[in-house]
Amino acid sequence: MKTLDDSGRAKLQFPFDGLQKTRWSNLPTGIFERKGLRMGDLSAAQRAAVTDLLTAALSRDGYRKVTEIIGGDEALHKVNGGPPGGGPPGGNRVIFGEDEYYLAFLGPPSTTSPWMLQFGGHHLAINLTMMGSQNSMTPSLPATQPAKYTVEGREIRPLGKENDKAFALINALEASQRSQAILAYKVSDLVLGPGHDGETIQPEGIRASALTPAQQAMLLDLIHEWVGIVTDAFAAPRMAEITATLPQTWFAWSGPTTNGSMAYFRIQGPTLVIEYAPQRSLDHIHTIYRDPTNDYGAKFVKP
Amino acid sequence: MSRTDRLRQGYSESAEALRATAEVLLHSVLLLILASVPLSAHRLDEYLQAARIGIDPDRVQIELDLTPGVDVARTVVAEVDRNRNHAVDADEAQTYAARVARDVGLELDGRLLVLHEVSRHFPAVVDVLKGEGTIRLLWTARAPGLAPGTHRLVYRNDHHADIGAYLANALVPASARVAVTAQRRDVGQHQIAIEYELR
Repeated sequence: MKTLDDSGRAKLQFPFDGLQKTRWSNLPTGIFERKGLRMGDLSAAQRAAVTDLLTAALSRDGYRKVTEIIGGDEALHKVNGGPPGGGPPGGNRVIFGEDEYYLAFLGPPSTTSPWMLQFGGHHLAINLTMMGSQNSMTPSLPATQPAKYTVEGREIRPLGKENDKAFALINALEASQRSQAILAYKVSDLVLGPGHDGETIQPEGIRASALTPAQQAMLLDLIHEWVGIVTDAFAAPRMAEITATLPQTWFAWSGPTTNGSMAYFRIQGPTLVIEYAPQRSLDHIHTIYRDPTNDYGAKFVKP
Repeated sequence: MSRTDRLRQGYSESAEALRATAEVLLHSVLLLILASVPLSAHRLDEYLQAARIGIDPDRVQIELDLTPGVDVARTVVAEVDRNRNHAVDADEAQTYAARVARDVGLELDGRLLVLHEVSRHFPAVVDVLKGEGTIRLLWTARAPGLAPGTHRLVYRNDHHADIGAYLANALVPASARVAVTAQRRDVGQHQIAIEYELR
């Protein structure tokens, strides 16, 4: 905040309770209007301050994931989104790229009062609510397009571990377990994506109580890909909570089970919803991470 | 030094390197080897129709979100905005909501239920054309006097089967008297049969 002038601070700061809390989306600028501090409007020093903030709030792997998602969007920008660009009929031009990510604070940063760090853009929404040592990084939406790209000969897969660990788990199940886990219908999108706060659907698939200890460990490792986006000190109690309710957690799968195929999966427990939904392409993935009991810190933020 | 402290120190030391890596990543995209990346496709040519079904002891509630993709948005707008004034007035909204309701069927234990509209929301035409607009319809159907025991609710949606992509899910019932025991769908989720116990 010290790197900003009054105008910048005014763009950054929102009331804790207000419309900004739910103003997040997977959609790009031009289709969805975000508010906050736009990365493209910042000086190098201000961008460095944002980076410092994100490296403090996120784990090493979480920060990697976020930057790779943004890198993917920058790839879209270079290929498709540069001026003059196309756009939807009757609307504004769709804009991709690293400049189109926004930072917002809801409530003033505090060690005692609730506040929220919101960072997002196309295919990314991080909503981190904090009050003292309590925190909730739900709802959050890590997604990516492209799902795989190459930088200087290095292959980048922002959500590659999520994909690979899920396929490893479904293939670690016995046939009878798999028949419970695999849904007999196609799931073409997130069920509880943006705009579906406060909804809890009936769980389906196989209960984790029907998994072996090794399979349960694989499931927890998969869950950690979302929980572990946030810094380790915040992720640890959350993982403990999820582990404690693992027997009541469900794993559901829709689609083929050979890695490299297009498949949807959902993990749902008393305090957890994770969905992974390819968007009719292996190269375009949406995911959502929720805690139906504690989205936006509902447990520790009492009205 | 504790293990946690060592991890923190290691993290701190690596943060700078990580940032440098990220900067290289973000500024090296010109060198990307990308055969072809299609323009970000957010369900461009489909009409997503997502239903959430709430079951109470004496009624059923259907929330249906209808989101046309950019490539089919003009088709849907033409059906809604019949006077083509680029706005959806109350009559047009009512007419379209009634059309959707005719395409949706709801049966309880083999009996047709009548849907009563509770609310409807139509976004601005410009938002629909951008692929962002979601039409939201909420219906309720009365199911009074149900006996305790097993019941079977069937929801079916045939609205715009030519371009539709469907989701249908039972919500966790708000009443402790209702417990969903099974959900069965066809492959495309046009139809869902929900079995539940009423206590």
